[in-house]
Amino acid sequence: MTSSDAKADSQGFRPRVVGFLCNWCSYAGADLAGTSRLDVPAAISPIRVMCSSRVDPVLIMTALMRGADGVLVTGCHPGDCHYDKGNYFARRRFALTDQILTSLGLEPERVRLSWVSASEGPRYAEVVNEFIEEIRELGPNPMRTNRSL
Amino acid sequence: MARRIGFFICECGPNIGENVDIDAVLNAVEDMDDVVLAARFGLMCSGPGKDFLKANIKTEKLTHLVVAACSPKQHELTFMEVCEDSGINPFLFQLTNIREQVAWVTKDKEEATEKTIRLAKAAIRRVRYHDPLSKTALAVNADVLVIGGGVAGMAAALRLASPERRVHLVERSSSLGGRVVAQGPIYPTMASGGEMATAMVDLVEGNDWIVVHRYSEVSVVVGFFGNFEVVVTGELEDGGTLETKVNVGAGVVATGAEVLEGKPLEDLGHGSIDGVVSSAELEAMLADGSIGGKGGKAPKSVAFVQCVGRDEVGYCSEICCMNSAKQARLLLEAAKGAKVHILYRDLCVPGRDQQAFLEGAVKAGANLVRTTSVEVGGSKGGITVSHSLGDGKAEKLMVDMVVLSPAMVPPTGTEGMAEMLNVELDPSGFLLEAHAKLEPMAAGIDGIYLAGSASGPRSVSDSIVQAEACAGRVLSSLIPGRTIEPEIRVSHILETLCTGCQTCLEVCCYGAIVYDPMKNVSHINAAICRGCGNCVAACPSNAISLYHFTYKQLYQEIVEAIR
Repeated sequence: MTSSDAKADSQGFRPRVVGFLCNWCSYAGADLAGTSRLDVPAAISPIRVMCSSRVDPVLIMTALMRGADGVLVTGCHPGDCHYDKGNYFARRRFALTDQILTSLGLEPERVRLSWVSASEGPRYAEVVNEFIEEIRELGPNPMRTNRSL
Repeated sequence: MARRIGFFICECGPNIGENVDIDAVLNAVEDMDDVVLAARFGLMCSGPGKDFLKANIKTEKLTHLVVAACSPKQHELTFMEVCEDSGINPFLFQLTNIREQVAWVTKDKEEATEKTIRLAKAAIRRVRYHDPLSKTALAVNADVLVIGGGVAGMAAALRLASPERRVHLVERSSSLGGRVVAQGPIYPTMASGGEMATAMVDLVEGNDWIVVHRYSEVSVVVGFFGNFEVVVTGELEDGGTLETKVNVGAGVVATGAEVLEGKPLEDLGHGSIDGVVSSAELEAMLADGSIGGKGGKAPKSVAFVQCVGRDEVGYCSEICCMNSAKQARLLLEAAKGAKVHILYRDLCVPGRDQQAFLEGAVKAGANLVRTTSVEVGGSKGGITVSHSLGDGKAEKLMVDMVVLSPAMVPPTGTEGMAEMLNVELDPSGFLLEAHAKLEPMAAGIDGIYLAGSASGPRSVSDSIVQAEACAGRVLSSLIPGRTIEPEIRVSHILETLCTGCQTCLEVCCYGAIVYDPMKNVSHINAAICRGCGNCVAACPSNAISLYHFTYKQLYQEIVEAIR
């Protein structure tokens, strides 16, 4: 499955997913997935931020309005944030994002928050694989075709 | 001046070169706005690779640089240095990671190439919106804050203070010396604790480089190693308070421990049965001569009850067995012929000298009795101590004095201290070290160290060892005259958009933001801000921006990343 992620499937769906990775834990975890030569779907485009708390709902909505099929936000595990409590703030803001998505008629599953530490290369690969799989099942972001939103 | 962006892709030997169609990437980006050069090189981080970059920057008069290579954790700084050497601001540069996060995780070359193009375009679009940022060097502040004026705090202060390094010693009570100043002889040397502490107080007070803040508490600590801003709040005689601002580079927390009070002691007759005293009360009686002195009492039989409150607090306090052994020796000297029982659950006799010391107490007449539970009751002509011996047998002692040896607990205010300093608490409520073995003195926050009982009950000698170790950590890292480079990628507030709602103050974990009521706007102290961007996401009026991670920059990256 992973080998054809960036290509269109039989229905012509080619998922596009933005991954916001916190610099200290998750970005290093993603790097470790690389040094371990794991399979990570090419559909994800990693964007480095210093902390998951920088990722406000506006950034997530921007990605979705511009046509992203999914947005993955990853940060340090609870208690391990490089900035003390940033990930808790990220988690709290997620409740808000959920509501916005629902009110726009988008599936809340298109946005996911996961914790990935610097030593969790396999977990990063797993999280991305799972998420892309879920996005495939959801199909394309309706905003891509229905511009009236 | 028009932007002239150079795009460089590193083959990283076969690492990227074999998994990504480099020419396809170059073709895809060379026509992008402002791109004047798109080139490849075998190993960009090598000497020839860096020279290649420098030569092209010069001949093509590049203003911005994008490198597609390995993780920024590997070579971001390498290429930023190339920029600096070539006269480009190092922040007009973007490194995109096509090795760890593309070539190494994507088996299909076509897919890897397509993803590389996406990321390369995202980096190029992003770099067009980069702003030059300039580094600032901040001289380290070599001064040190020591919280707590007990033996640990004083030992740290005395070791640290010098003409190059002022020490601010903050003591909550009226006088220095802590718990030890009230002690008579202390184990294992039986030298007077009180005399030792008093001698230290004299040294501290006579030291020109130690500023003692009595009746004072630390109310604010913001900043980081080399640059802490502290507010010391002192109590004035008229009941008012005085706030003193102090700048330091590091802090030693030596807030000590307190003795458990309340129910566990009351259950054993403390406060209701005559002759039931705590070990601290016995210490005072021995010191002022009300036991053993001229006209003082001389108890004929005494029972020490160990581990009072141990079940409630959930840990062994480490120092009470030895303290009772010492007090037993003193009692046996003061009241010749007395019977002294020490009722213990588990003996804690650590260290080189302690075993011999305890044996000395036994030799002097102390009777060590292992027990599993103790009850104390008042009766005519004495106190009954009933205790079980563990094998079902019970024993009843008639004594005229019971000494309760209670657990040591964190001092009041420890929770607030932990929150203020961003230091964690262990489950028992003491301040937590970063690592019990590898970083025993570090508090998990750079530049904050823990000495003495602040991180758990400690003997006087262990406390001083820790104080010396803390001083060593400070002396070896906080060197006068050195500079630190504070984070450049910090947040800043646009005054014209700020509504003064102070939401950002609530979310900042570093206390870097202050509110200006005159202008009704908030300000970020760039020397304190760590650049997480939490406030940016929290600001409801979009007035805050994080340098190098602005909305515009991330927007450009997003747009290309999902094309």
